[in-house]
Amino acid sequence: MAFVSPHVTSTAIEAMEFSELSRKFRVTGVPKTIVNDTVEIMGALPEDLFVRAALQIPDDEQAAQT
Amino acid sequence: MSLLSAQDEQVLKQHLSAIEKPVTVLLFTQTIGGSESGVVAKQVLDEVARLNDKISVVEKSFVLDTDDRSKYGVTLAPAIVILSDGQDTRMRMYGAPTGYEFVGLIEAILIAGTGNVDLEDDTLALLAALDKPTHIQVFSTPT
Repeated sequence: MAFVSPHVTSTAIEAMEFSELSRKFRVTGVPKTIVNDTVEIMGALPEDLFVRAALQIPDDEQAAQT
Repeated sequence: MSLLSAQDEQVLKQHLSAIEKPVTVLLFTQTIGGSESGVVAKQVLDEVARLNDKISVVEKSFVLDTDDRSKYGVTLAPAIVILSDGQDTRMRMYGAPTGYEFVGLIEAILIAGTGNVDLEDDTLALLAALDKPTHIQVFSTPT
């Protein structure tokens, strides 16, 4: 996603080594994704669900368009 | 001692042969007071770079190279920043790229070196419409 959009930066973080950061974002299981320090995504999601969650696009917007 | 077996190297070399553009991997490490994982990260990256002459590793000091740190937004060490033909890909890694993280490293290098991303059309459309800064942090563990 970061490679495609100039607005996206992606960082993969080793949770055990950077325990302070993990604590800050309440990482109790992995994978856990944090977007703009606020949005939390737990676990590995299918691509469409992950992208909508990460970009904060509600599912009903898709429904409204179709 | 190598981290990669001869068999791993052979398979990886074949995957990496798809690379067309130069890939520069910046590694920010902290020599004094830094963790052991910086040393491991360097060894992993050097072993991968040996498999393809389009991949190069440039080591940066987390303490001294402050201009580069701020340019790439690096706040922790060890940090890996991947450049495609000298341009920032905005793909970063914090920690040694071992275990599952190693797969992520190779995928990021392949994206940077080939320009090919394996994303659905809907995802590409949503990304094309995106106009606000989005920082995605993915926490994982090597095993």
